[in-house]
Amino acid sequence: MKKKIGKEIISAENVVKKFGDFAALKGVTAKIFEKEVVVVLGPSGSGKSTFIRTINRLEPHNSGKIVVDGVEINDDVKNLQKVRSNVGMVFQQFNLFPHLSVLRNITLAPQKVKGLSRAEANDVAMSLLERVGIPEQAEKFPSQLSGGQQQRVAIARALAMQPKIMLFDEPTSALDPEMIKEVLEVMTELAESGMTMICVTHEMGFARSVADRFLFFDEGLIVEEGTPEHFFKNPKEERTKLFLSQIL
Amino acid sequence: MTTPKINFKEIKDWTIDNFFGSKLGILLTLFSTILIVYFITAIFSFLSAAEWEVVSINKRLLLLGRLPEEDTWRAWPIFWLFCFIFCSSIGAWGNPKKRELLLLLLAFLMPTAIFFSMTYIVHIFMTIIIGSVSYLGSKIIRKTTYSRVLKKSLISLWILLIPLAFSILIIGGGPQSNLWGGFLLNILLASVAVVAGFPLGILMAVGRSTKLPVIKTTCTVYIETVRGAPLVAWLLLAWFVLPKFLPNLFGLNEISVVIRAMIVLSFFASAYIAEVIRGGLQSIPSGQLEAADALNLGYVDKMRIIVLPQAIRVVIPAIVSQFIGLFKDTSLVFILALTDLLQVGRIIPEQDPKFFGKQIEALLVVASLFWVVSVVLSNLSSRIEKNLGIGTR
Repeated sequence: MKKKIGKEIISAENVVKKFGDFAALKGVTAKIFEKEVVVVLGPSGSGKSTFIRTINRLEPHNSGKIVVDGVEINDDVKNLQKVRSNVGMVFQQFNLFPHLSVLRNITLAPQKVKGLSRAEANDVAMSLLERVGIPEQAEKFPSQLSGGQQQRVAIARALAMQPKIMLFDEPTSALDPEMIKEVLEVMTELAESGMTMICVTHEMGFARSVADRFLFFDEGLIVEEGTPEHFFKNPKEERTKLFLSQIL
Repeated sequence: MTTPKINFKEIKDWTIDNFFGSKLGILLTLFSTILIVYFITAIFSFLSAAEWEVVSINKRLLLLGRLPEEDTWRAWPIFWLFCFIFCSSIGAWGNPKKRELLLLLLAFLMPTAIFFSMTYIVHIFMTIIIGSVSYLGSKIIRKTTYSRVLKKSLISLWILLIPLAFSILIIGGGPQSNLWGGFLLNILLASVAVVAGFPLGILMAVGRSTKLPVIKTTCTVYIETVRGAPLVAWLLLAWFVLPKFLPNLFGLNEISVVIRAMIVLSFFASAYIAEVIRGGLQSIPSGQLEAADALNLGYVDKMRIIVLPQAIRVVIPAIVSQFIGLFKDTSLVFILALTDLLQVGRIIPEQDPKFFGKQIEALLVVASLFWVVSVVLSNLSSRIEKNLGIGTR
């Protein structure tokens, strides 16, 4: 099942992010390649969420350089728009728009940003809802859906912009155990279809079967990286061993 | 099914438990009984001595102020137009419960009872017909495919209502605007202030919430300045100072006092509404903004489609409360020598020796008119809240 990994699509060099005096990222350097699925691991407060949020500038980085698909992320608004149109994001708390129907949640950005007509956007949305398995919920409001269904809508919403890269920020952490599976199935399908994905997750079963590479964060730095096999069989760093022994 | 027997022992126990259960209870029962008896006798003695002639003779003054007699007809089309749009809207959007329809009917009947006159029996009859026909009509249209068209045209009619009312007052050599008065003036002033102040308030709230220093400071200074002085002071300023500042072009420095009052009230309303809406903006979780950013929505779309609808929904009760306050504040325009409802109510008992000492009757009618509109407004707001509740988190 090993798929072909393409050329470099994200490169982060020495990225530093500070919140006041606290440095959440202390110089992170990483490269992500096309069609690669990267799982980001690490204890809470290690900077893993902050790192993926710098990739679409939800958190502006203080220094260092981030290039996404050939476009550098900086204060230039045009660059930012190019990057964001290539990067979709799924949040821990879903962040669906509660006052809009499921369908409208998905069609909004394609209509407003990409200029699709209502009918075109509806077609895109319905085919995505089919893909995540809940086309019958299109006319409902987010609050009428279960957590797992909401997160699948959120994935469909991000996919509607046809991004090249998908970021997942702990997508299953706010879900009840019986709903985690349905979301992971969608994510697995997405990974197999060749999407470039960066996932912050604690779902080790999923990570092990889908990921091409792990990044292990601690205290704002990438401490260790490698294939899943490397991590599960012989991790080098003490901190990695400790972390893995705690979550497995 | 058996009919329950009245159990006197239970009633006795309940009475003792609730009214004479303790020493404090006995004391409170006695005290409140005395108070209630006192107020009821006071109200009855007032009502038995009350003479409502002071009101019935001055009906026209109370409703229209100094609007000349030959222009009285202008009030009716405005009222009918409002009635038409209002009742159609209830038919188009609301599913009024019986209780609410009853309240509306009461709200309509009370002023009608006070101001009933044989001269206008046809007009009142017309009103009832227009109201019920438009309500039933839009209720029927709502179920057809034209529902969207109906709602859209009603919204545009609401927006057009104020300009239409003005043109009805003006066309064919209408009276000078400083002769507009009575309840009509209160309603006109309040509607203009709401319609102009609300969008301005939204802009100010959004402006004050941005990170752009120039816009933020401008909006903050505006809001704090307008809120910083009493409405009376602004009205006086508009009277004395505004003409000196405006250029002597197109008669700008001679604009009528009514227009000046409208400008001041709109600005005043916008400052307060801005702060209410800013409160709503702060209640929107940051995740909503992040989601909009991640989807690459522009700032305007983000505010217009994601943030403001949610923020305004949260603060509807507070906004309506502002509107009700504003509506009653319009009676302060007596400072500009305009005769609004309250001013008429204050003056009429003094104009004829036989009405001396009849202030209470006049003021009671004035108060009840304000009350009717306020209650309808607040009911409307809870209605809107419920209707918007569908998509809440």
